[in-house]
Amino acid sequence: MTCDHSAIVQHAWVIPALPLLSFALVGLVLRPLNARLAGAVAAAAVALSAALGWWLAFDYLQFAPPAEPLPTLIPWQVEWLRFQDGLRIDAGTLLDPASVLLVVVVTTVSALVHVYSLAYMKGEPGYGRYFAVLNLFTFSMLGLVLAPNLVQMFVCWELVGASSFFLIGFWYDRPAAVAASKKAFVVTRFADLGLLLAILLLGQAAFDVRTQLGASAGDSQALDFAFLGRADVLAALAHQAPVLGGMTALTLGCLLLFVGGAGKSAMFPLHIWLPDAMEGPTPVSALIHAATMVVAGVYLVARAFPLLAAADGVLTVVLAVGTFTALFAAAIGCTQDDLKRVLAFSTLSQLGYMMLALGTCGGGDPAGRSAALFHLFTHAFFKALLFLGAGAVLHAAHTGDVWHLGGLRRKMPLTHALFLLATLAIAGIWPLSGFFSKDEVLAAALHGGHPLVFAVGLGVAGLTAFYMARVYLLVFWGEPRREASAHVHEAPLTMVLPMGALAVLAAVAGFVPVSRWVALPGTAEHAGIDWLVAGPATAAALAGFGAAGWLYGGDLGRSDAAVARLGRLYGALRHKFWIDELYLWVARKVMFRLVAAPIAWFDRMVVDGTMHGVGLLTRLCGAGVQAAQTGQAQAYAAWALAGGLAVVGLLWAAGRAG
Amino acid sequence: MSAEALRTALFWLFAALSLALAWSVVGNRRLLRAAAALMGVLGCSAGFYALLGFGFLAGVQVLVYVGGIVVLLVFLVMLTRTQALLEDEPTPWRHNVGVVAALAFFATNLWALAGLPDAPVVGPALGGDTRAIGRALLDVGATGYVLPFELVSVLLLAALVGGIAVARKVDPASQSAEADHG
Amino acid sequence: MAENLASGATGLHAWLLVTSALFSVGVYGLLTRRNAVGILLSLELCLNAAAVQFVVFNAVRAPARVDGAVMALFVVAVAAAEVVVAMAIFVLLYSRRRTVDVTDLTGDGPGHAGGAP
Repeated sequence: MTCDHSAIVQHAWVIPALPLLSFALVGLVLRPLNARLAGAVAAAAVALSAALGWWLAFDYLQFAPPAEPLPTLIPWQVEWLRFQDGLRIDAGTLLDPASVLLVVVVTTVSALVHVYSLAYMKGEPGYGRYFAVLNLFTFSMLGLVLAPNLVQMFVCWELVGASSFFLIGFWYDRPAAVAASKKAFVVTRFADLGLLLAILLLGQAAFDVRTQLGASAGDSQALDFAFLGRADVLAALAHQAPVLGGMTALTLGCLLLFVGGAGKSAMFPLHIWLPDAMEGPTPVSALIHAATMVVAGVYLVARAFPLLAAADGVLTVVLAVGTFTALFAAAIGCTQDDLKRVLAFSTLSQLGYMMLALGTCGGGDPAGRSAALFHLFTHAFFKALLFLGAGAVLHAAHTGDVWHLGGLRRKMPLTHALFLLATLAIAGIWPLSGFFSKDEVLAAALHGGHPLVFAVGLGVAGLTAFYMARVYLLVFWGEPRREASAHVHEAPLTMVLPMGALAVLAAVAGFVPVSRWVALPGTAEHAGIDWLVAGPATAAALAGFGAAGWLYGGDLGRSDAAVARLGRLYGALRHKFWIDELYLWVARKVMFRLVAAPIAWFDRMVVDGTMHGVGLLTRLCGAGVQAAQTGQAQAYAAWALAGGLAVVGLLWAAGRAG
Repeated sequence: MSAEALRTALFWLFAALSLALAWSVVGNRRLLRAAAALMGVLGCSAGFYALLGFGFLAGVQVLVYVGGIVVLLVFLVMLTRTQALLEDEPTPWRHNVGVVAALAFFATNLWALAGLPDAPVVGPALGGDTRAIGRALLDVGATGYVLPFELVSVLLLAALVGGIAVARKVDPASQSAEADHG
Repeated sequence: MAENLASGATGLHAWLLVTSALFSVGVYGLLTRRNAVGILLSLELCLNAAAVQFVVFNAVRAPARVDGAVMALFVVAVAAAEVVVAMAIFVLLYSRRRTVDVTDLTGDGPGHAGGAP
């Protein structure tokens, strides 16, 4: 499986290598020299990467006639760490439909965001730094997507987390940004611990299985996805003895794996970092916190799907968490005032949608996995477009508070049109992309035997349409409510063009037969649009639009009345169910006081005390020796003589002993 | 009196003289006298060299060591204006340390000596041949000394330059600046 | 050693005894002298004793060679270099601090900040 590939398939590693090179070049050389040049080089490198990504996709699709499943290839890999035979970690590029799809999404959105940032970040003091980290992020995300084993994925996983940390805290002189970056880092680290434990647990279990298999294991390595996806391996893993609480290593490992994925994809209850991450520059939110990094959790679950499907009940957990997050975040999104925060909760909700789709596969039909990846694909485009549109608004009006904005459609006609398109796409209006992918997700829920989930999905579709129409109307219609929004101007061309490109993609992405490409063997074919699903979904979306239009389209007094009617529920939603406060309370009152404080005491008294004791001893010894350091040459001569005589004495003693 | 007896007598004479003078070198409170005693010790050493048959060395000892180096030391005594001073007696502590160190060193030497077979010290050997010394100094072979010889010339040059650099008159302006920064 | 000494013959032991004694006396001076020039004198004593010992061994152990004599010459050269440098240092020291007593030299001293009068 190595010889007859086209150049780009053979050398797919170039795609992540370009941003890495550019990161080094921009970060080390160009950044201090010339910020403009640094930005241009960074954008050019990623644009080239994107071109190669599309080329790769086209070449890859040539592989098989559409009837056949597309092959899984590892055209390039090098040995990286060798623990022992069967536990070797390679660095390489894994090409299968899912990873090629993600390569296209990541490079495309990243390239457009780079171009957009050229104008958006103009005049910022950290211009070069921004582009360097953005490049690093692109590299890490591509490395994650192309990882042929869990360890490379984990390393890149941490790297995207670090890039995200740097970019959320890009304006490190703003306390809110610093706090947000810390929060994102701590929460995702917490979840990453789950992933690490999962890797250790699954690695050990799979290695045992590999040892049992003996010769039939071949050259496969325990942590390779290829090995973990084999039917005989999965069967052996499922029949291992329970390790903890009646769960096998497989089940426990998959649960922990999902904890990791849930942290990165901001699933409830680890969602709290994503809304705060909006403190970063808006293009970063578009790229990292909407289109790419946050879908890493979904991708991880999709990548490790055979494992999760083989483990008891894990997919049910995925389904429950995904469904709840979708509904919960959509409801909160209806009450937020900040444009970017609404979009952040929308992202949470849509990620919940993807997880939900993955979770519906418990019945054995992996159609939900295809749906999840399809929704990931379309969501990346329209959500990035929404964020870039929000960025254009922020850039012009310097505020994201929807109650300060208003009437922007006349001043920013292009942005308005693009934002409207994205709004329709996310709400799922035919023929825009969201319609198709949402349809598939809901169809997977319905046909997978989860009517309740289907109903919730419909409700979320309605809420999505409602909150998007709400912010759209408040921002672009009516009259300017504050001075700031009265004197806005259209975004520059460098910002509008990437938005236009994303709009084209958001419009047509639904016609790309992604779900057929990424389908696993055994997926039921379903042709065309299932109007049993699409009909109610479209109706829900239109209902959401109608409600928003009635409440926010004209007299805003109606919305105030509605708020008053909802009373306590509205307050709870607006405060995001006080989950941040709850966590803070737990952290301060429980963890700090009961766990951290005793540890700190131990550290200060015992650990530091030991070190201080050692230091004191050293100082005392030093003081003793210091007496000999008189600066008197004669004293030194005496010591030298004594030393010489001591050596002679030793020789004498040695001579006697010998 | 045979030649051998004369050599023995001269040896003991020089030995007694040099030890007595050495005592004066380290013990005399007047530095100028100590320097003069050193001159005597070195002269006795020249006598030793002659007794051993190293006539050339004896000459060098007198000309360079006694005539050059010790005269420099005498200059030094005068330049530092310590010739008239009576140096303080060493404190008892210092004195004791010196005695113990010297005795320990001497005892070690005796111990080493005890392990060494005695041998007669014969009369003039090749050492009297100045040409042999010259050849050895300039011999580039494995047993030659040309490298140390050249190194010593570099050392002497470095000492010369260094001595000038250290003792050179510093102009008051830069000296005061140095003092400010020091 | 004893019989040679008793008979008055000058064997190796007698020679080495004398040079060791000279060196030991030098050591005593090195450690007890307070005047820097005095220390230097004691040091010369040690050097000279070592040079003589070299020559003695030359005469006893390798009469056909001149290695010990060459060493003695080197000792003279090194002593000369040493005296030159010491002279420069001590003269400077004296001009700054008006003393060459090594026990008075610790610390910055009075002469340092004020410079030479």
